[in-house]
Amino acid sequence: MVTIPYLSYRMKQPKILLLVLIALLPLVLVSCIPGGASIAGGWAGTAFRDGIIYVGTRDGRVVAINSSTQSQQWDYAVNSAIYTTPIVDSDLVYVGTYSGKVLALNTLARSQNLTFPQQRYGEWEWDCPIDNAKSNAIVADLLVSNDTIYASSSNGRVYSLDKEFGDQNWASKMLDERQQKLWTSPVIHGNALYVSTLDGHIYALSVETGVSLNWSFESVAGFASSPVIYEDAIYVGSFARRLYAIEIGSNVSMWTFPQEKPAGNWFWASPMVNEGIVYAGCLDGKFYAIEAKTGEKLWEFDAGSPIVSSPVLMDNLLIVVDESGTVYVFDLSAELGDEAVPLKTISIGAAVRSLFCAQEGLVYIRGEDNQLYVVDIDKGEVSWKVSLTTKA
Amino acid sequence: MSPGDVWYLIIANPVLNVLIALSHILGGSFGLAIIVLTVIIRLITWPLTKRQLNSTKALQEMQPKIQELQKKYGKNQQKLQQEMMKLYKEAGVNPLGCLWPMLVQFPIWIALYQAIMRALATTPENLLDLAQRLYSWNVVSQAIPLNSHFLWLNLGSQGDLPLAIIVGGTMWVQQKMTQAPAVDPRQESTSRMMLLMMPLLFGFMTLMFPNGLGLYWAVSNIIGIIAQYFITGGWGYLKFRSPFKPAPAKGK
Repeated sequence: MVTIPYLSYRMKQPKILLLVLIALLPLVLVSCIPGGASIAGGWAGTAFRDGIIYVGTRDGRVVAINSSTQSQQWDYAVNSAIYTTPIVDSDLVYVGTYSGKVLALNTLARSQNLTFPQQRYGEWEWDCPIDNAKSNAIVADLLVSNDTIYASSSNGRVYSLDKEFGDQNWASKMLDERQQKLWTSPVIHGNALYVSTLDGHIYALSVETGVSLNWSFESVAGFASSPVIYEDAIYVGSFARRLYAIEIGSNVSMWTFPQEKPAGNWFWASPMVNEGIVYAGCLDGKFYAIEAKTGEKLWEFDAGSPIVSSPVLMDNLLIVVDESGTVYVFDLSAELGDEAVPLKTISIGAAVRSLFCAQEGLVYIRGEDNQLYVVDIDKGEVSWKVSLTTKA
Repeated sequence: MSPGDVWYLIIANPVLNVLIALSHILGGSFGLAIIVLTVIIRLITWPLTKRQLNSTKALQEMQPKIQELQKKYGKNQQKLQQEMMKLYKEAGVNPLGCLWPMLVQFPIWIALYQAIMRALATTPENLLDLAQRLYSWNVVSQAIPLNSHFLWLNLGSQGDLPLAIIVGGTMWVQQKMTQAPAVDPRQESTSRMMLLMMPLLFGFMTLMFPNGLGLYWAVSNIIGIIAQYFITGGWGYLKFRSPFKPAPAKGK
């Protein structure tokens, strides 16, 4: 900051200088906007059940798309960004919102566009308390197990809710709500709930009571991804540009990957484990297959664009989608070598940051352009697409 | 490479990474990191600041001569301007030189604003975007996520009135220390307006921008006051009271 000592001497100049300053300061204001604060747009993934695709849209609605008619069957505006992928359980669709709500939407009631919530249809809405935090936003995917829903909140707490009525069973404080956000989903293993945090911890909670169990793990850097569990080991991506494998109960990691030099960026997406192999995408564009027990790399593939979404397995086909919207299909029954070559490469032509689902040869992807793309793996092309903007 | 890419490569990303690394080195305090970065920026721009302060001092010393010229050529504004410019030239003073430190700081403000918003990752999109802008330094990886709280402030939020008052107040003091007394009532009203306008503007901007940027402005002002105190030798015109009374409003 400087002062302007000459102004009082230059009677003609003050007005000019004043004008210059006034003209420049709005320029600062305008220049500051791009690249600064971004608006929470949401990146809800897709869920498929009985011919219907459920997805949260960028304009804050939960939409059901009929795959037969390729059109919107119903929609419900939550008036908030949606980051959670809808979970479908019989006639109910569960979704968490950036405004801190968990909703149970009944497909029949929503098809009739009845006032929400229709209790006779089993609908409910739960408001997450803010508890002195800056935000109670629900960013991480919900977890449904038996008769309970688990939700992580930006107020640093994990909540257990009754699936039928939406009543809160318990809340467990993971993080100081003034400092941290809980943006990762919990995972259940046995009687414990495991939660990874952005500040580099993994906590174990009692499923019944939410009380912290005797074990936790601490890393030098925060955990970027939600954890996955396979045979008593937790696999989770870190801000330290490594993937961690941690045996439950141990205070040291089984292995970290890459073992020597860190990867080019964070392991943001949750890895997937299948038949003893960990599949993990990195934001540097690399995708890896790693031996779950040893951390030894089996093969890798360079997509060239950040991998934000977790991979999906469909029969023996591994489907990977990168941020540029390219779908890579790997045949796991074939020999892939050290540097895998995809069986098929299909571009949808839109950026992808959401989780996607795949069923019966079709992959359902929500693009950042607010369109739903249905990719036919056999044909190697986008079979059809539909706009997710407001229903006409 | 687009101008935007060049901007991020040369200014925005270095500021972001240095800020995050400082935060980790300073025990995870993002507020302290902003303060240390402010000091670093003031040190880098010190040659410009020093030149400006020396000019200020020279101008203060020239004041009797200027008053003399005012008396002599008061009725001939053109001649007065010519003589004053001649005087400035002889003393090696550039009347517009004071703007350079401010102009140099403009890109720093923008980069700092972007760095604060990106580093604090207030939305999930911010956090994901941050990944693409970080260097592969361990201190940077280990600093994420940052603690946005410092003293009573949430550095990523905006609209903190006490901080706006501090920014406006310190700016007023800094301005007042260097603003030489007016030689006639008309000049006095212009000086008074200038003395109030900049602090009010920056106070308003503090309310509009993240508190982290306000913290930068406040610390920068305080450093400026200290530097002025030692270079110009004291509080300058801070305690000076104008002999002119504000002109009364014209009646109907």
